[in-house]
Amino acid sequence: MVLVEGLIGVTLVSAFAVIFAPDRYAGKLATGLSLIPLAGSLFMYANFAGSGNALLGGDLAYETTVTWFEVGGYGLNWHVGVDGISLPLLVLTTILTTLALVSSWTPIDDRESQFYGLMLLLEVALIGVFTALDFFLWFVFWEGVLIPMYFLIGVWGGPRRKYAAIKFLVYTNVASLIMFIGLFALVFGLGDSLTSLDIPAIAQGVRGGELGALAGVQPETLKLGAFLAMFAGFAVKVPVVPFHTWLPDAHVEAPTPVSVVLAGVLLKMGTYALLRFNFTMLADVARDLALPIAAIGVLSVIYGAMLALAQRDLKRVVAYSSISSMGYVVLGLVAFTPHGMGGATFQMISHGLISGLMFMAVGVIYNASHTRMVGDMSGMADRMPWTVGIFVAAAFGYMGLPLMSGFAAEVLVFIGSFQSTVIPFATVLTALAMFGIVVVAGYLLWAMQRTLFGSYSLETDYEVGRAPVHDVAPLAVLLVLVITLGVAPDLFYAMIQDAVDPLLGGGV
Amino acid sequence: MAVFDYAPAIAVLPLAAFALALFGGRYLPKRGAIAGIAATGGSLVLSLWMLVTIALGADPHQQTLYTFVAGADGVASVDLSFGIFIDQLSALMLVIVSLISLLVHVFSLGYMNDEGETGLPRYYAGLGLFTFSMLAFVFSDNLLMSFMFFELVGLCSFLLIGFWFRDDAPSSAAKKAFLVTRFGDYFFLIGVVAVFATFGTTAFVGEESFIAMAEHAMPGSEAAVPGVVSDWLGVVGLSASQWFTVVGLLVLGGVIGKSAQFPLHTWLPDAMEGPTPVSALIHAATMVAAGVYLVARMYGFYALSPTALGIIALVGGFTALFAATMALVKQELKQVLAYSTISQYGYMMLALGGGGYVAAVFHLTTHAAFKALLFLGAGSVIIAMHHNENMWDMGGLKDRMPVTYATFLAGSLALAGVFPFAGFWSKDEVLFETLVHGLGSTGGTLLLLGYAFGLLAVVFTALYTFRMVFLTFHGDARTDTAEDPEPVRWNVKLPLAVLGVLATVVGVINLGAVKKIIGESNLFLHEWLFHGAEGLNGEHYEELLHDFAGYTAAELPGGPLAPAAVSLGLALVGVGLAYRLYGGADPDPHMLKLGSVRTTLMNNYYLDEFQVWLAMSVTAPVARVADTFDQGIVDGVVNGISSVSLLSGDRFREIQTGIVTNYAALLTLGLTLLVLVFALAGGWF
Repeated sequence: MVLVEGLIGVTLVSAFAVIFAPDRYAGKLATGLSLIPLAGSLFMYANFAGSGNALLGGDLAYETTVTWFEVGGYGLNWHVGVDGISLPLLVLTTILTTLALVSSWTPIDDRESQFYGLMLLLEVALIGVFTALDFFLWFVFWEGVLIPMYFLIGVWGGPRRKYAAIKFLVYTNVASLIMFIGLFALVFGLGDSLTSLDIPAIAQGVRGGELGALAGVQPETLKLGAFLAMFAGFAVKVPVVPFHTWLPDAHVEAPTPVSVVLAGVLLKMGTYALLRFNFTMLADVARDLALPIAAIGVLSVIYGAMLALAQRDLKRVVAYSSISSMGYVVLGLVAFTPHGMGGATFQMISHGLISGLMFMAVGVIYNASHTRMVGDMSGMADRMPWTVGIFVAAAFGYMGLPLMSGFAAEVLVFIGSFQSTVIPFATVLTALAMFGIVVVAGYLLWAMQRTLFGSYSLETDYEVGRAPVHDVAPLAVLLVLVITLGVAPDLFYAMIQDAVDPLLGGGV
Repeated sequence: MAVFDYAPAIAVLPLAAFALALFGGRYLPKRGAIAGIAATGGSLVLSLWMLVTIALGADPHQQTLYTFVAGADGVASVDLSFGIFIDQLSALMLVIVSLISLLVHVFSLGYMNDEGETGLPRYYAGLGLFTFSMLAFVFSDNLLMSFMFFELVGLCSFLLIGFWFRDDAPSSAAKKAFLVTRFGDYFFLIGVVAVFATFGTTAFVGEESFIAMAEHAMPGSEAAVPGVVSDWLGVVGLSASQWFTVVGLLVLGGVIGKSAQFPLHTWLPDAMEGPTPVSALIHAATMVAAGVYLVARMYGFYALSPTALGIIALVGGFTALFAATMALVKQELKQVLAYSTISQYGYMMLALGGGGYVAAVFHLTTHAAFKALLFLGAGSVIIAMHHNENMWDMGGLKDRMPVTYATFLAGSLALAGVFPFAGFWSKDEVLFETLVHGLGSTGGTLLLLGYAFGLLAVVFTALYTFRMVFLTFHGDARTDTAEDPEPVRWNVKLPLAVLGVLATVVGVINLGAVKKIIGESNLFLHEWLFHGAEGLNGEHYEELLHDFAGYTAAELPGGPLAPAAVSLGLALVGVGLAYRLYGGADPDPHMLKLGSVRTTLMNNYYLDEFQVWLAMSVTAPVARVADTFDQGIVDGVVNGISSVSLLSGDRFREIQTGIVTNYAALLTLGLTLLVLVFALAGGWF
């Protein structure tokens, strides 16, 4: 099958076509072209026939393996394919990219062709991250995400865009370096038993006990060191407390559509990599370290929510609440129960949709009012009834209202982690983390009451009318998706569970 | 049974009305009201059909409708599903909810459409969603589904209380209602998750339900302890009865929030900011009733834990008295009713804790009738008074609005518990059950305490009720509006008439006080609830209460007559006191004489202030400190590292002078140093 290659190739060509297109048509052209990978990923979803976990010898869908060349005794392969974990993330990427492109039509009015081209380049790299199964290839895509993102924030961002872009780039790059060292410790530890940088081969080698001593360091210590290095590297990306401070800056400065992709997909790279590397490759270390990892998850939930409570900028509120939501993912992953790990993966999808929806809704209001500050506006419901209606629905989705995807994800994580026998004090830690659902209601209700309700007033000199249809349409689409996944989580959850299940039994 | 195939439609019809009103309300007759009336009318007919079918001897019906998380094939996990369970309890409740909702829809024609409100499609969409959520909650066949619709009920209350979002007070009240109940639901959700972890299921019905498994796991039960339960008890390290008490109390958190029990009752009086028909719906049949209904639904679980029961009884009894005292001094009609709702649900909780399962359901039923009546009556008065709610601006309305007066009086007599109105029979039953179980059981002190609270509250209830009646309807008109009130139409009077009749006679379903005379078998509700599904009926609960909670009913010498006489006497004392104080042509504000006590009561014992203080003076500063810490320390470290590397880069850059002699000097110096180091380390000297 060449579907994955097709997806990547078409999107790459589209990106360059858009860069050289005239500014006037760039937005529509990019949106139109992005429908191709969207359709492709939906086709892949509809015809998905894989089973099991990609790293543990599962039956991959749309797999290709071609050896490129060999270097230093290691073969570098073009190895791509998807399983039940990566396919939902792939679909999420293509959906959110298309919708983010539509939501760019209003706010982006400068150097459009470059903007839309970079957005498509970003999509190329993201598709690559979720499909690549060779470490070299994967790392190229992983780092490749940073470049368009850097420019998207640094060129089209707000007043402090340079600072935010550099901070994002340097922080995540240093993290990648640490992670890289960690992985290569494992690769060298595996020694001759490894003939390529194939991720499944590395994972099976490490799990199969083929790790040898490296430079006098015993395998157990080596695994621990590699785990910590990779955890630190991915923790920045997620981000978990205390590695989160790049995130609010990046979000506040980034234009709305970039925030949508940043929160919706980029953060999931971190949790996806955690799942693949830390919790699959080094599952036994993760089990040993369950208590501190779960504690970090709980800390992220509560601390992130407390920070969100203190913000006045709506975008910062949503940004900090992302930290809180990603804490649930960490907690669920380390539970090593079907619903814990499955729910955590489902939460990646759900949060991608809901946070994208929230950022877009804030963006639509900002397009009209040119402010995001609580206190600078009130009673927006009076002027933008449908936008505000969707905003309220999205906020309740974020609070985990039943029949929306957030509830399904969170309750699955809670069920999974509460009964975990891997996490010490699982019941108490889960109960603590669950308090997040009260705090999130607190700050979102407070922010909504101040900005959306009450009598209409606005500090800025703009005339607020109803938002254009192409601003509201992506919101409506996302809301429908959130509700659909809330009513029928099994659309994704069934394949996720199938892919997660091999991580739970035997082996380790 | 083909009948039960139509059961899902009971909830689906209002959902359809919601969608219709939301997306097409503008084009619908009466902006969606007719669709809502048709839908709730359909629900009522279907609910009655279910009720009759079961009354004619059909077995209760359980059916899984939709499994929304089945997971992958072959993966060991639990299914999460929606299902319906129609039994005696839920069929009765479905009738109550759909009836009240129908009447509220009709009343809204007068209260909203005729008053020229805007945003009506949103209003009727909200009512439809509210009714849907509550009906689905009622016929849930598992606890997770109950939780989900419990939460949706909370959302609907937010949407409807905040209907007039352009004003500050309604949107603030809506926020408070959702947030306070969310706090309770936090504990409820932990309880749901704990039930999952303990039993691997949240089903209510059958041998594999968590309720049946809990009973089997109790020491002293003859059945084998289910393996999954004993495994889990080993993990948490508690005995079955201890752990079930913990789980029961966690779920109770949600009940206390939704049913507005102390200390989470504060949202309810604020919720009066919503349109009055919504208040009627919230207080009589949905939302607030949901909490009590939940305890009744899983009563087989609570009956295993005397501790949980004792706490329920105490919270209920205390709330009944506590809320009644605050209702004494309120000046606004709806405020009095709001506190009376809190107080009345306290009675239901008292009954549940006191082993009076039938009494609680009985009071839930009668209360639904007379409280919906009182709220709609208040709505009628509010229309007449041009939305002035202050009772001191009213007076003398009885001659000018006779239908409203007559029905409101019937509702008030029921609320005050005066013979022979509905509230008398049910309130008496509540107190009687609590008393006999308190006297007969070994650990009955908590129950007797709750009983004392409840008995004292009877006087207060009658007093504040008739203070309200006299101030509103009797005496001279105190303002021009009261002299010449706006007339109300049939759409207001019709629901009042229906409810007025019900509030008067519905007590006949369970004339407990005279059971010695008419015979036990003529206590229809008692008979009804004692013939439920296997393990989920009053008879079985009585055995459970006896075996596991140690509840035994004491035999009183005069039977139920003497306690009934006592509570009736106290109610009449309250009515008489109200007449004496406020029955004149121009009553004085006697409550002012209470001085600082009145101030405390007017300020609701400063509990609202306490909660605001918790939010504004504790949580907000903590959040700000966290933010400062985050910006200063956590991000400071990040920026610090960046500054250090930038600065050092800057300094090192100065080595690159571009002057050859400098480089030559550095080279020489470096070489010398290297040689020296190697020499010293290598031991050349």
